[in-house]
Amino acid sequence: MTREEIFAQLTEIFQDVFDDDEIVLTDDTTADDIEDWDSLEQINLLVAIEKEFKIKFQLSDVSSLENVGAMVDLVEKLVG
Amino acid sequence: MNSYKFNELSVGMSESFTVTITEEIMDKFIEITGDVSPIHVNREYAVAHGFKNRVCHGMLFGSMFSTMAGVYLPGEHCLLHSVETKFSLPVFPGDVLTVTGKISEINDTFKTVAVKGTITNQDGKKVCKANIQLGVRE
Repeated sequence: MTREEIFAQLTEIFQDVFDDDEIVLTDDTTADDIEDWDSLEQINLLVAIEKEFKIKFQLSDVSSLENVGAMVDLVEKLVG
Repeated sequence: MNSYKFNELSVGMSESFTVTITEEIMDKFIEITGDVSPIHVNREYAVAHGFKNRVCHGMLFGSMFSTMAGVYLPGEHCLLHSVETKFSLPVFPGDVLTVTGKISEINDTFKTVAVKGTITNQDGKKVCKANIQLGVRE
């Protein structure tokens, strides 16, 4: 799976979780850029990503994610 | 009250309880929320618009999902995250509702639990359903 494909799927997940079809993700997107992205939605996002990509996060992996780019990198590593 | 801990929960576990809708609790709900829409307050108005009696507020019987989570499944250690509710049929004074919650998903990493909620009336008709997300305090 390419990084672009992961980005596209992540964008759909973000749009679904935040109910906003206009969300556009970049490597630098952070919680500061999406109004409703709080700690609860972070969990919802990560659970949705686990389901979509059929992967399992470790808390240590996700607690230090700085932005969407880091999230894509982590998914890419776990998808293999 | 139940006091399930996270590691005591499993997919498929379910709990249920019954509640009778009365004019008294509807009036209390009106007093608390200020929702005085005539369909909920005035029997004649409701009948004139095709209902057999005052219509119970959906958010009144929908609030029973709070009881489901906080008292039954998992009970004491619950932290309610979200309740997405759909109302399928009207509920009237005198209806006896059965509220059921069944665990559909558990996430070990984030310690979250998804519960499918349903409310049926005394005729076995589904009047409400919900997707409930919750956490469990250590």
